[in-house]
Amino acid sequence: MELTALLIVAYFVVLGLAMRQRKRVVHGPWLFMFRAFFPNWQFYHGLGYAPRLFVRGQTTAGNWTDWHTVYPRVTRQWHHLVHNTTVNLALTQQNWVDHLSSDIQDLPDGADIQQRVTYQLVTRLAHQAIRGGHWGPEGTNVRMIDAELPPVVAFQFEVRLHHLGTDHVEPLLLSPLVPTWN
Amino acid sequence: MELSLAIRAFEILLGWSLVLQSLEYLRIQRQDRLSDWCLQRLDIPPHPHWVRALLDRVFLPRAYNTLIGMRLALAIGLMSGGLGLAGAVMLFVIALLLLLRWRGAFNGGSDFMTLAGLTGLLIAHVLGTLTDPVTGWRGGLWYICLQTLSSYFVSGWIKLLRPEWRSGRAMTVFLDTGIYGPLAPTSIYRSPRLAQACSWAFTLWEGFFPLALMDVRLAMAFCAVAICFHFLVFWFFGLNRFVWAWLASYPAVLYCAAG
Repeated sequence: MELTALLIVAYFVVLGLAMRQRKRVVHGPWLFMFRAFFPNWQFYHGLGYAPRLFVRGQTTAGNWTDWHTVYPRVTRQWHHLVHNTTVNLALTQQNWVDHLSSDIQDLPDGADIQQRVTYQLVTRLAHQAIRGGHWGPEGTNVRMIDAELPPVVAFQFEVRLHHLGTDHVEPLLLSPLVPTWN
Repeated sequence: MELSLAIRAFEILLGWSLVLQSLEYLRIQRQDRLSDWCLQRLDIPPHPHWVRALLDRVFLPRAYNTLIGMRLALAIGLMSGGLGLAGAVMLFVIALLLLLRWRGAFNGGSDFMTLAGLTGLLIAHVLGTLTDPVTGWRGGLWYICLQTLSSYFVSGWIKLLRPEWRSGRAMTVFLDTGIYGPLAPTSIYRSPRLAQACSWAFTLWEGFFPLALMDVRLAMAFCAVAICFHFLVFWFFGLNRFVWAWLASYPAVLYCAAG
């Protein structure tokens, strides 16, 4: 039993020391897909740059709307404790923005970000937002953009890095003009 | 906590967590208009060919719903105590498929902890088949316990290494990013002293969670605080799956602390 206790203490000492070490990031598509097997358990661990999605639309007359932020905000309800599809789906979609940001920063020379799945997912997200989409089922939840939007025929999105806790913002990616679709 | 009680509590809580997740997955199929498999399949490496071809079949809408329905039925079987090795293997395989469907994770940490629970369940049944059920379940519960303690330990100490957490500033900033909206202008959590006190209290509690192994009463106290903590995380960030995924691991913590 004493040996078990010693091994447990040793495990947490190693774990503690490992936290102070500089991490070597290992990349790979299968490792990414199965990263749940190697959780780092670091949630909200520090203030840094957080990617945020912005979108604007162009009307048939060629006028641009303002830039609007697309960040999930939902009304809290008690039943969400056991059934929370709207929030969980919205958080997954916000994760696409985070993953796109990582993809941009890790993009090899000569590669095209528009070919990445994350780019295409975020394009769809921006399109849904600028077309007056909602977080969750249509018509029952909060609109993705909290403003009256005119009908648009094209849109553009931007990923900006917000430094949490400060007003500092850095643009990361500006998409080309994308025609809307049905 | 006795082994038999720990096993039943774990099976019921993990099963409950899986039932809730499965019902959400079924409903999300109808809500989600963006992330169809036709696009996400491109994230799967093209070699070996058969993997993508197999997943294309598994993730057809009807087949996917059947898969989730199977998961739901297996989860109910787990809660009833009637799930054997085959069921544990199937739950594990479905978990792997869901990771592939949702680009590695649908809901981040809750997926990781759910996988830890399912891996523990698999270890219990495989090891139990190779040796005896008691050894199998001991191995499975210890695996889950170590994953749970690691999750709190790392999460706590990594924050204490950061000045913005030690000052309490990070807590207010993160609460403002919560999905249910920013803190009210008059919220008590905007008080720097209270934010600092809260930050130190919960990061130290997380960091010292491994001490739960010293005594079962201490473990019960740590787990009781953990329930309140995860409820607050749900309250501010909407992370309901985290509540149930971590709750399912506490029988393992209590069993190991009692041993």
